Amino acid sequence: MREIVTLQLGQCGNQMGSVFWQRLCAEHGINKEGILEEWATEGGDRKDVFFYQADDEHYIPRAILVDLEPRVINNILASPYANLYNPENIFVSKDGGGAGNNWALGHAHGEKIYEEIMEMIDREAEGSDSLEGFMAMHSIAGGTGSGLGSFLLERLNDKFPKKLIQTYSVFPNAHEGDVVVQPYNSMLTLKRLVNHADSVVVLDNGALARISAERLHVQTPSFDQTNQLVSTVMAASTQTLRYPGYMNNDLVGIIASLIPTPRCHFLMTSYTPFTSDQIDKAKPIRRTTVLDVMRRLLQPKNRMVSTRPSKTACYISILNIIQGDVDPTDVHQSLLRIRERQLANFIPWGPASPQVALTRRSPYITANHRVSGLMLANHTSIASLFKQMLDQFDKLKKKNAFLDQYKKERMFENGLEEFDDARATCEELMKEYKACESPDYITYVSGQVISSFSLLNPSQGAQDGDQPA
Amino acid sequence: MAQALESLITSLVPASRDDALLRTELLAHCQEILNSHIGGHNHEPDLGHLSDLVKRQLLQSSPNGSASLKFTNLLSRLLDQPVLSRKHASILFLQSLASSSSRPATVFLPTLAPPPPSRISASPSPVEVHVSRLPGGKSKADILREYRLKIGRPHLSEHLLLRDTLYLLQGISGKYVRFSIQGDDPEMENKLVFMDDSKYIISAPTKALIHRLSEVGYLYTRVEGFVREREGASGVGMIEQSLCHHLQAQLTEYYRLIAILESQMSASSNRAFSDPECQSLKEEETGLTLRRLDVWINEWRLRMRMMSVCVEGTRDAQGGALVNLIHGYTDNGDPFVRKFTDQLLEEVSKPFFATLHKWLFSGELYDPFSEFFVAVDPTLAHMQYVHPSSLAGGIGPFGGDGGFGGLGGDGDDISVDRDGGLKLWEAKYQFQEDMLPMFVGEAFGKKIFSTGKSLNFIRYSCHDSDWVVTREKMSNTGGTLKYSDIAGLERSIDAAYQIASHRLFDVFIDKFNLLDHLRALKHYLLLGHGDFADQLMEALGPSLTRPANALLRHNLTATLETAIRSSNAQNDPPDVLRRLDARMLEYSHGEIGWDVFTLEYKVGAPIDTVLDPDSMVKYLKLFNHLWQMKRIEGTLNVGWMRIAGGARTFLRVPELDPQWHQIRIVMAEMIHFMRQMQAYCQLEVIECSWKVLLDFLNKKEGDLDAMIEAHRTYLDRMVKKVLLLSPKSGKQESLLNQVKEVFSTILMFRDATDNFYYYCLSESSRRDGKLDEQRGVYTGTEQANDPETLPRLINQVKQYGAVFSERAQTIAQGLQAHPDLDCRFLGIRLSFSDFYRKKT
Repeated sequence: MREIVTLQLGQCGNQMGSVFWQRLCAEHGINKEGILEEWATEGGDRKDVFFYQADDEHYIPRAILVDLEPRVINNILASPYANLYNPENIFVSKDGGGAGNNWALGHAHGEKIYEEIMEMIDREAEGSDSLEGFMAMHSIAGGTGSGLGSFLLERLNDKFPKKLIQTYSVFPNAHEGDVVVQPYNSMLTLKRLVNHADSVVVLDNGALARISAERLHVQTPSFDQTNQLVSTVMAASTQTLRYPGYMNNDLVGIIASLIPTPRCHFLMTSYTPFTSDQIDKAKPIRRTTVLDVMRRLLQPKNRMVSTRPSKTACYISILNIIQGDVDPTDVHQSLLRIRERQLANFIPWGPASPQVALTRRSPYITANHRVSGLMLANHTSIASLFKQMLDQFDKLKKKNAFLDQYKKERMFENGLEEFDDARATCEELMKEYKACESPDYITYVSGQVISSFSLLNPSQGAQDGDQPA
Repeated sequence: MAQALESLITSLVPASRDDALLRTELLAHCQEILNSHIGGHNHEPDLGHLSDLVKRQLLQSSPNGSASLKFTNLLSRLLDQPVLSRKHASILFLQSLASSSSRPATVFLPTLAPPPPSRISASPSPVEVHVSRLPGGKSKADILREYRLKIGRPHLSEHLLLRDTLYLLQGISGKYVRFSIQGDDPEMENKLVFMDDSKYIISAPTKALIHRLSEVGYLYTRVEGFVREREGASGVGMIEQSLCHHLQAQLTEYYRLIAILESQMSASSNRAFSDPECQSLKEEETGLTLRRLDVWINEWRLRMRMMSVCVEGTRDAQGGALVNLIHGYTDNGDPFVRKFTDQLLEEVSKPFFATLHKWLFSGELYDPFSEFFVAVDPTLAHMQYVHPSSLAGGIGPFGGDGGFGGLGGDGDDISVDRDGGLKLWEAKYQFQEDMLPMFVGEAFGKKIFSTGKSLNFIRYSCHDSDWVVTREKMSNTGGTLKYSDIAGLERSIDAAYQIASHRLFDVFIDKFNLLDHLRALKHYLLLGHGDFADQLMEALGPSLTRPANALLRHNLTATLETAIRSSNAQNDPPDVLRRLDARMLEYSHGEIGWDVFTLEYKVGAPIDTVLDPDSMVKYLKLFNHLWQMKRIEGTLNVGWMRIAGGARTFLRVPELDPQWHQIRIVMAEMIHFMRQMQAYCQLEVIECSWKVLLDFLNKKEGDLDAMIEAHRTYLDRMVKKVLLLSPKSGKQESLLNQVKEVFSTILMFRDATDNFYYYCLSESSRRDGKLDEQRGVYTGTEQANDPETLPRLINQVKQYGAVFSERAQTIAQGLQAHPDLDCRFLGIRLSFSDFYRKKT
C-alpha cells in the first residue's frame, strides 16, 4: 500500500483541501461522517491511499490541517464534513493571529509549532504500511501557506528524505493580487519548492480565473468554483492511485516519467471537460471522444497556468489520465493523429511521447460525458511564469518596499541575502527550463548548485541553531 | 334382387345365357359391387347425365338406336318403381359394369400394379389370327414345328418353360432351366443353365427371354438372401435393419405378383387341359406367355436392381454412408427411380433421424452400431468432462453429485483427467464426414455435431441442473425430423444449435465463471492488477536475486498472500485467489530467482477445455516477459528516487554534478523506453485483444470450439505482439532478444549508477567529516577514495548508457520496419518525437 499523507496549509490550502476531501468522499462512496455508504459495494477502488479505517469503521482522511488563523478551519468544523477529519490532526495557532501575509512570519511560526505538527505527521506516517509521500496544498502568495509551508517543506525533506513530496501550489494572479508583498512571498516559497519538493503541480490563479470565465461563463468566479476546479484536477491526478490499473499505480512511477531532471519538476495541468456535475454552472460540452479530449488537453487555453509560450517551447513530458468508458483502440488512433498533426512539440535531447493512462471513473458519480481527461505535463513555457515572478519581484525589491516587516523576523535580522538567493534560484530555474529547449541540455551545468553548496543547506543551519546543544 | 340381377346379366351379357358358371360368377361379382359403396353417396345423383352417358354408349355399340330406345323404356319403368330406392346407384353400377372390360379375366387381377398395356397384348393376336386363319398352305414356322416333332426334338412347350420361369423368378431352379449351383465350375457361378435334352430344344430367342427374366430371379435371391441373413444376425445396424424392413415389404409385393401370375398361369393351363381346342385362342387372349411375363415383370426388374444395389452397398458402407449411397440415386431423371429411392430413404433414414433427434436435442449418442456421422472414441466414452472430485470444494451446489464417482475413481481415471478437458472435448467425439448424409450438407453436419457435443458437454461436464428447461425448449422447437422435410430439419438444426450454443456460453460464463478466470489471468499473469504486481515485486524483489535453489516455496506463497492482502486483489472472489500460486520453474545450476519465478493460475475441468495446458504455457511465457519489464520498471523507479530526489539532498560533490546530469538524462531515456514498452503491451496488445475476446463472448454466438478458438486467437495475438515476434523464419525472436539485452543493459547501468552513488555518498560524508574536523568535531576517520575508482565508475556508467542508447535506437528502427502493424506502432511510440530517426 502506498499511502499519501496530505498537508493542508493556510487558508487557501484548507479551502482546497476541504473541497478535495468532499470530492474523494463522493468518489469512494463515503458519507459526510466518514462511513461507507451501503450502496458503495462496487469496489475496485483503493480508499487506503488517502483514508485509513478507524476501529469503528470510520474512514478518516490521512490529512493534516494547519492554519495560523482559525476562520477557515472553523468553517470546516462547522460544515457537514466536520466529523470526517481526525480532530487530533487539526492545528490552529493558539494566538489565532495568522501570518499577516508575511512569509517571514509564517516561517518563524513554523519554528514554534514544529514539534506539534511533526508529531501529527509522525503519527500519520507510522499509521501507514508503506508511506509513499506527502501531498501539500497551499498558496505561495500569502503568509501561512507560503511561509509555514516553506518551513515544513524544508523539515519534511530532512526528516523523510526517501519520501516523495508533491505540492499543489496556487501561484498568485500576477495582475490583480490582493497581497502587495506576494512577489516576495512567492519568490521565497519558490526557492523551497525548487529545492525541497519532488514535484509541484502549478495552479495559477490567473489561469483559473481565465478558465472560469471562459469555460464557466463567470466573470468573477467564487472561491468555491475555483476550488472545485482545483479539486477536480487533484482528484483526477490521483485517480490512478485510487483506481489502480496496469500502470501508474504509485506516485513515483508517475513522477519519474514526468521529471527527468530534479529541478525541472513544475507540472502544468489541463482538464477537460469541466461540466456542471463537477463545477457549478459549467457549460456543457458535447463531443467527448478520446481524440477530442486529448486534443483539447494539448491546447494552451485549457492549461491551468498562464504562460506566454515562445516558438521554441516544448514538452519535456506528458501524461494523460483518461477516465471513462474508453475503447483502447481509440487511444491508439488518437496518438497517431496527434503525431500526424504535430500537435505537440517535444524536447530535442531525449525521446518523449505522450503517455496515456486509462483509468476507471468512480462508479458512484454519474457523469454526463463519456470521457474526461487530465493532462499532467512538464512544459518549458512555464519559464515565462518564473520570468513574470522575477519581474514583479524586481519591481518591488528595487523600491525596497515593504521589507520592514520581514526584517522583524530572525531570519532576516542580519540581512536580506535570502531574498537574493531565492531570486537566483528562480532565475536559475528559468534558465534551466529555457535550456531544456536546446539539444545542448545534455551538457547543461547548473550554476545554482555551487552556490547552494557553498551556503550549506539553510534548513540544516536553522536546525543547528535551534538545538541548544 | 338376385333375380333382377340375373335377368340383367343375361340380357346384357349374351355369353352368360348358356354359361351357368360365368353367370353365377358375374352375379356374385355384381352383388359384391352392389354391397360395396361404389359411386359413393357424396355425389348428387344426376340421373339425366347418367342416362345420357348410357345412351351414348349404347348408340356407339349399336348404331341403329334400338338398344337406346329400349334403355329409355326400361329407365322410365325403373323410375316409376316406388319400391326401389337406389335407382341412380343401380344405373351407375350397370353403366360401369358395361363400360368395364368385356374380358372377365381381368377381374382376377384387380390389384396388379399397372394393367398390361393393351397394345402389347393386342399386337400378337392379329398375326396369330392371321396365321391360323390361313386356309391351306402351312407357314414356315408350322413346317419347322412339324419337322421338329418328327425328329423327336420339339420345342419345349411354353407352359413348361413358363412354370420354370416362375420358379426362376422366385430364385428356385426349374426342371428345364436352373441356376448354376454354387461350387460348380467357378466360371459358371451365378449363371443360368438350360437343361438341354435330346428330347426337346429351347429356341435361342426363348433362351434370351428367359435369361432376361431370370435376372429378376437372380436379384431376388440376393435381396432375399440379404434380408434373411440380417434377420437373425446380431450387430446389424439400425439403418440396415430398416433397409431390410423396407426390402421385405417390397418382396412381399413381389410375392403377391408372383402369386397372381402363378394363379393366372395355372388357370390358363387348366383351361388348356380341359378345353384343348380353344387353348390357343384362350392363351392368346388371357393366358400367360413368357413375353407377357416379361412385360409384367419389367418394372420389377428395375426395382430389384435398385434393391440389389442397396444390398450391394451395405457391403462397404453402413449407416450414414449407406443413406448417402441411396441418396445418390435421388438425383435421377427417371421419376420411377426417384420415387422409389425417395420412399426408400424415407424409411431407411428413420433410425438415422431417431439418432439425430437424440443427439441434437439431448446430446446423447445412441448409436449402438456406429452408423451415425458422429463417432465416439471408445477409450474416452465413459470419461466425463469433469471428474466429480474436482468439483468438490468451492464450486458449489453439485459437490455431492458425483461423490461416489470421485471416491471410486481409480488412478487411470485421474491420469486421463490430467490430460485436460480440451483433449477430451476434442477427442471424445469425432466427426465422420463419410458418414454424413449428403442431404444434410456439411455445414449443417458440423452444426449438428457441435450442437450434440455442446449438449453432451453441458450434461456431463456441467451437471446442469437447468438442463430440463433447455431440453424442453428444444423439443418444442424440434417437432419430428424426417427426410421429406429437409427445410424443417434445417430450421430445427439451426434452432437447436442456437439454443445449445447459447446455453453453453451461459454455462461457461455464469456457472463456471469463465470470464472471472480469463480476467484473473489477465489481472495476475498479465499484470493487469498493477498494484498487486507492484506489491509482489516489492516484497519479492530482494529475494529473487538469490540463487534459485535458495528460494523456498513456502516463502513465495507467503509473499503472494501478503501481496494479495495489501492490494486490490483482495477484492477478487476467493475461488479466483485460491487458484493463484507462486512457484519456481525447473531450474538449472547458476540460475537466480528472477529466472525461475513464476505465478501460476490453476484451472480445473471443465474450464480447462478453454484454458488448456498449452494456453497456460503461453500465459506463463507472457508473464515472464511482462514480469521482467515490471522488474526493470521497479528498478528504474528506485534509481530515479536516488538520483533525482536523494542526490539533491545528500550528495554534495558539486564537481560531479555534470555526471549526475548525464546519468539522469540516460535514465530518463530508459524510463521512457520501458514505459512506452509497457504501455504498448498493456494497451495496444492486451487491452485491444481483450476487447475483441470480450466482444465475442458477449455475442454468445458459436460453440465451444469457437470459444476455444477465440481464446487461442486472443492468446496468440498477445504472444506475437508482446514478444515482438517476427514472421520471418529464423529471425522470429531477434527483436525479443535485443529487448532482453536492453533489459540487462539497464540492470547493469543501474548497478553502475549505484556504485557511483555510493562513491559520491562516501565522498560527501568524507567532506562533511572534514568540515566537522575544521569545526573541531571529530566524527570518525574517512579514508580518502582511491583516485582510480572515480574514472572507472564514471566510465562504466557512461559505457552502459551508451550501449543502451545505441540498442534502443536499433530497436526503435527495427520496429519501424516490423511486418506487424502494432509492433510498428511501438516503434512510433518509442520515437514519437523522431528522436530515434536515422541520423543521416
